[in-house]
Amino acid sequence: MKLTRVLAGVSGVVVMGVGVSLLLDVREVPGVLLWLGGAVVLHDGLIAPLVLLVGLVLVRGGVRGGMCGGAHGGVRGPVRGALTVAGALTMVALPVLLRPGPRANSSVLRLDYWSNWLLAMVVVAAVTALVMAGRWFWRGRRGAS
Amino acid sequence: MGRMKSRLSPPVFKGRLHDARTATSIGRWLGSAFAVCFLTGLVSHFMQHPPDWLANHIPSRPSWGYRLTQGLHVASGIAAIPLLLAKLWAVYPRLFSWPPLRSVKHALERLSIAVLVAGSVFELATGLLNTAQWYPWPFSFVPVHYAVAWLVVGALVLHLAVKAPEIRAHWSRRSPGTLALPVQDGPDRRSLLAAVGAAAGAVTLTTVGQSFTPLKDLILFAPRHPDQGPQALPVNRTAAAAGVGRIADEEYRLVVDGPQRYTLTLDELRALPQHEVELPIACVEGWSKSAHWTGVRVVDLLERAGAPPHARVRVTSLQLRGGYRVSEMGQEHARDPLTLLALRLNGAELAPDHGYPARLIAPNRPGVLQTKWVGRLEVLA
Repeated sequence: MKLTRVLAGVSGVVVMGVGVSLLLDVREVPGVLLWLGGAVVLHDGLIAPLVLLVGLVLVRGGVRGGMCGGAHGGVRGPVRGALTVAGALTMVALPVLLRPGPRANSSVLRLDYWSNWLLAMVVVAAVTALVMAGRWFWRGRRGAS
Repeated sequence: MGRMKSRLSPPVFKGRLHDARTATSIGRWLGSAFAVCFLTGLVSHFMQHPPDWLANHIPSRPSWGYRLTQGLHVASGIAAIPLLLAKLWAVYPRLFSWPPLRSVKHALERLSIAVLVAGSVFELATGLLNTAQWYPWPFSFVPVHYAVAWLVVGALVLHLAVKAPEIRAHWSRRSPGTLALPVQDGPDRRSLLAAVGAAAGAVTLTTVGQSFTPLKDLILFAPRHPDQGPQALPVNRTAAAAGVGRIADEEYRLVVDGPQRYTLTLDELRALPQHEVELPIACVEGWSKSAHWTGVRVVDLLERAGAPPHARVRVTSLQLRGGYRVSEMGQEHARDPLTLLALRLNGAELAPDHGYPARLIAPNRPGVLQTKWVGRLEVLA
């Protein structure tokens, strides 16, 4: 098992070497390194702290499982789920929403992406409300019987 | 001094679920998405830049092969975006592990993690921006995206080797490492994993219709809609962008250069036996759409030129500007009866943007190699 791990680790380093040698053939290596470093700084310095901050504000604001009858009946799960889905959709939509400059032709980016984004947010909110209402309903029935 | 110390000490994370079980659960999905993305990316790379030993043996079947692999490439990359963010969220506190470097081995491990994180974010970001034809960087997209993919996969394999004992200890709900975690986190973790799965599903459903056309009505954020474009088919390079405009019928000539070289006018081309095929245009950027094409079989044109059966073929466009003016085909594609020099699309003459008067359409082939405004077929030795 130890040998397998070592062999896997070595092959990983070899494959990384392939990547490095391919990168050295590319012009503008400093630009690539800047973008690679920028990717880490953007995530670790901005995106992750923002997400953690949102989570902290929600928990401080009272959105927690314990307050409303445990993890199954609480609002924490659905609210966190709604924010996760909405955040992912927004992230994936950013290029089509924000791309500047002229389009290559009329078949590129011709949907109304801001309307679509609003629609997606409304659907996420509606599905979340339905899930919460459903849970509240079933818990009520279980409690009554 | 006390202030100095508190300023230097790392932040404390009291939130739950930043544990190895959460990281293992999300990591499995993310690793699968990366594996699919890398393998389908390799397929695309070798189809467009085949090494010599492969160039004449790229299979032309299944006809929907490239549509499937490139659709999967873009879909798995998009699905990996929420998975990567969730995975990095789960392990984020480790960024501040203290002391930052314990040994040379620890320093090397952290370096490999830095490469993995940088490369992963870079690949998903540049890939997504590329689908929207947005290039804000100072380098050429294709070779850099390809090189960094190898870097990421290597760092990922190394990461799996380093973390293998921890992954094994948290693989299932009953694994020893999982059982050692606080029991009350279980339902909360399942709720988080369901949310991450829902996010991956949502970004897939709202984009995948660009290549998986049965879901085209759910498209919200894809850069292309498969029904939009000239003759209800999307276009990448227009006739205007290629500098050809509308080619005049009487000026058009097709040169077939082989052992018996000949030239055809458009009328002569139209008078040859016509065949209809249904084949997709499948773009590297992820969109694809199937269409009915009518035209002359390339194999018929080649045989009339006396081409040997194993010959490769070079297809040259009349376009004046832009890349992909010339494409090459191995024998499998050149001899496939589905490979046409198409004159008509869905029953009508080709629009100038689709390559009027004649374009190549072949099975299992990237869209950029389906050369438009074809002026010359050349038999290579």
